[in-house]
Amino acid sequence: MSAVTASHYTADYPAIAPSLPGQSLPWLQQLRTDALQAFSATGFPSPREEEWRYTNVSGIEKKLFSVPANQAASDVSADLLKAYQLQDAWSVVLVNGRFSAELSALSGLPDGVSILSLADALATQASQVQSHLGQAVNNAEHGFVAFNTAWFSDGLFVHVPPKQVLAKPIQLLHIVTQADALATTRNVIIVEESAEVKVVETFVGADNAYLTAAVTEVFVGQNADLTLYKIQSESEKAYHFGGIYIKQERDARFTHHNFAFGGLMARSDIHADLDHSSECVLNGLYLGVKRQHIDNHTRINHLKPYGISRETYKGVLDDKARGVFQGRVVVAEDAQKTDSQMNNRNLLLSVDAEVDTKPQLEIYADDVKCGHGVTVGQLDDKSVFYLQSRCIDEETARNMLTFAFANEMVDKISIKSLHDNVLEQVLARFPQQGVDKEWL
Amino acid sequence: MSTSEQEIKNLISQEYKQGFVTELETDTFPPGLDETVIHRLSKVKNEPDFMLEYRLKAFRHWQTMKSPEWAFVKFDPIDYQAISYYSAPKRKEDGPKSLDEIDPQVLDAYKKLGIPLDEQERLAGIAVDAVFDSVSVATTFKGKLKDAGVIFCPISEALREHPELIKEYLGSVVPHTDNYFAALNAAVFTDGSFVYIPKGVRCPMELSTYFRINAANTGQFERTLIIADEGSHVSYLEGCTAPMRDENQLHAAVVELIALKDATIKYSTVQNWYPGDKEGKGGIYNFVTKRADCRGDNSKVSWTQVETGSAITWKYPSCVLKGDNSVGEFYSVALTNNYQQADTGTKMIHIGKNTRSTIVSKGISAGKAQNTYRGLVKVLKSAENARNYTQCDSLLVGDKCGAHTFPYVEVKQPSAQVEHEATTSKISEDQLFFCQQRGLSAEDAVSMIVNGFCKEVFRELPMEFAVEAQALLGLSLEGSVG
Repeated sequence: MSAVTASHYTADYPAIAPSLPGQSLPWLQQLRTDALQAFSATGFPSPREEEWRYTNVSGIEKKLFSVPANQAASDVSADLLKAYQLQDAWSVVLVNGRFSAELSALSGLPDGVSILSLADALATQASQVQSHLGQAVNNAEHGFVAFNTAWFSDGLFVHVPPKQVLAKPIQLLHIVTQADALATTRNVIIVEESAEVKVVETFVGADNAYLTAAVTEVFVGQNADLTLYKIQSESEKAYHFGGIYIKQERDARFTHHNFAFGGLMARSDIHADLDHSSECVLNGLYLGVKRQHIDNHTRINHLKPYGISRETYKGVLDDKARGVFQGRVVVAEDAQKTDSQMNNRNLLLSVDAEVDTKPQLEIYADDVKCGHGVTVGQLDDKSVFYLQSRCIDEETARNMLTFAFANEMVDKISIKSLHDNVLEQVLARFPQQGVDKEWL
Repeated sequence: MSTSEQEIKNLISQEYKQGFVTELETDTFPPGLDETVIHRLSKVKNEPDFMLEYRLKAFRHWQTMKSPEWAFVKFDPIDYQAISYYSAPKRKEDGPKSLDEIDPQVLDAYKKLGIPLDEQERLAGIAVDAVFDSVSVATTFKGKLKDAGVIFCPISEALREHPELIKEYLGSVVPHTDNYFAALNAAVFTDGSFVYIPKGVRCPMELSTYFRINAANTGQFERTLIIADEGSHVSYLEGCTAPMRDENQLHAAVVELIALKDATIKYSTVQNWYPGDKEGKGGIYNFVTKRADCRGDNSKVSWTQVETGSAITWKYPSCVLKGDNSVGEFYSVALTNNYQQADTGTKMIHIGKNTRSTIVSKGISAGKAQNTYRGLVKVLKSAENARNYTQCDSLLVGDKCGAHTFPYVEVKQPSAQVEHEATTSKISEDQLFFCQQRGLSAEDAVSMIVNGFCKEVFRELPMEFAVEAQALLGLSLEGSVG
């Protein structure tokens, strides 16, 4: 791997290190030092690594993205906020990788519930952070995780005590305003026993090239229920890496909805470890146009018996876009009675578009029910004909069917305002004459 | 199922029945590999000069390569200097003129295996080329095939008699630079079968090669080249066995198939190399490169394999679908028991328009075995209206084994339609109970269910092989459920 460019970033590190949160915490300093060492050794992942064979991030190395000096909230356009900030939610807004109290909305939190920036959490409840940070994922994963651990400048920290059911969702709004900015954020979400929470991660940015490198660690306690939405609507020129690493305890339920719309090159990692009778649902939709490269990488580890997992990823690729799906289900020796289904469906709309998909089953237990399915193709001719026979012209018919294909994933969103917001974004992808809002 | 426990134990401990050793005098090279060995090999085989150069080129390239490590199999590094690269039953200077001159012990060995080299006792209508360690010892039905214009002979003979065909086609599908084991094979291959079916000829009988490793400390490196000229048709069968030994032996073969316009090749394998004992000691490392090139329009290649033997099986019979409307098929049953490991599957590369491929893979894993399906379906931009259907089913027998599915799908053409489906499950208790309740023993029930599970593949095998495959499957598997 290009040790040259890794050193390019590492050389920059001493200058920014003092500005990173948690200076007074020796354990965190140690964690960062180790991570820096790991990153120096490996650099960013290369396509020679099996898990990255379809995604080449050398673009990140050619450019040097750097931590922006300006993190002012005034930089954020009102339009952007209006378009993406949910009104009926507690929101934590990060501008260029730093918390903005001004833009965030955190009033009226129930007692015992912590929703704050990670930097603040490191100041006020360091021990809670210490016992979780780096527990769901470590540097060995790949270069981006090590990079994030060394560089993170802020993030979201959520702690929900046992049996607490949050009335409103929590939104993490990640905004990058500056060109060539590096926004490295680390989020920790702890949902204790039998609590119920919905979290929305939204990634947006001004029309610039920049790099987002976010890592989210999620801990779902016994019988707790967490629904996590990720709306990746980065700028068309941006690079995005977002890793979500989940530890589920017994009977815990975790549902993820992953919408990947933006970025020049975007990669998501979603890795869940399941305990006894845990349930894990991963849904995803990726829409690629122009020269976008969208990679979704999921791993579900069934470590104990009776786990259930359901995975559905859909992709629509147009122009010269390339979609990558890598899904892996591992059933450990002990994980008898596992029930796992994975599905990946792709629509290719243009001769220059490409899909690479790699669903994997790795099974070490015999009493299991596991399956996966993949399709790559185009719209069903019979369906198109059916619509045409009802006096709908072909183009409209195709648009309707493509939209319907994607909309199945949008309809799974249970937060009304978010649903409408995502629907808006999906509609913007389809020429208007085909998909009339009236029908919806 | 406890009542049948003893019976189960008996069945599990059933011996590998092809595990005998034939005692006979051999010409064997001392272990070791360098350029002088290759010179000597080429000389012993009386090869034309261009072959020696080809071998040396491959050998030099091989030395620059590293043993690949990406497969889902574990084995100790192989010491290539400890292997003997040539072993042949001793024979008279000018080779056997007829069956009478073949060492009767070799004939006996084949009789024991149920492979009749004696034409009078032949299986109806199958021509056999028998490869014993490093050399082909006999080819039957040569005359009848010659009448049809079909060339079916040991590849070492083809090197001498049909150099123009060899020059044109050898290494054109699997170049010597392809991979580590293909490079090694190109450098040291000793024998194998050569088939040429002329234009418009439908081969009058099934062709078959039977591979037998006998000598200890040798590797078997055979090379098979099948060329089906325009509009021709051939069905080819391959079988293999080896004696039981505690040390591992390497088998690194290369098979190249070339189908020209409108030609059809059907290639069936029943692989039953010695799988090692119950503790995973010994057995054959079966690292094979098999690839078919559907060069002409409307050509078709169909791979059918039943893999029950070998300590480690590592192979991906593939099809390069270059011609428009060409068809590739892959039907596979891979059974692993005890400590066997298999990483097998196929590659379908769609290049021509309207190319179609079908993949049906059935993996059965028992004991402490690991069974992996790894496959690639690649549709290039030129492959308009390409179509692929893949189905991979895995059956787990016992809670210590593993079954893995690693498909790769790469599509660059929007009019292509690619489907992949995989399931993993165990033999259903309900089905077992149903059968037993109707008076079948647990063994018969398992055998019946497994055979049903594999039926789609067995259906593709030629008659004689299908019977053998079913029996093999029963032998290797029955009793591992309890």
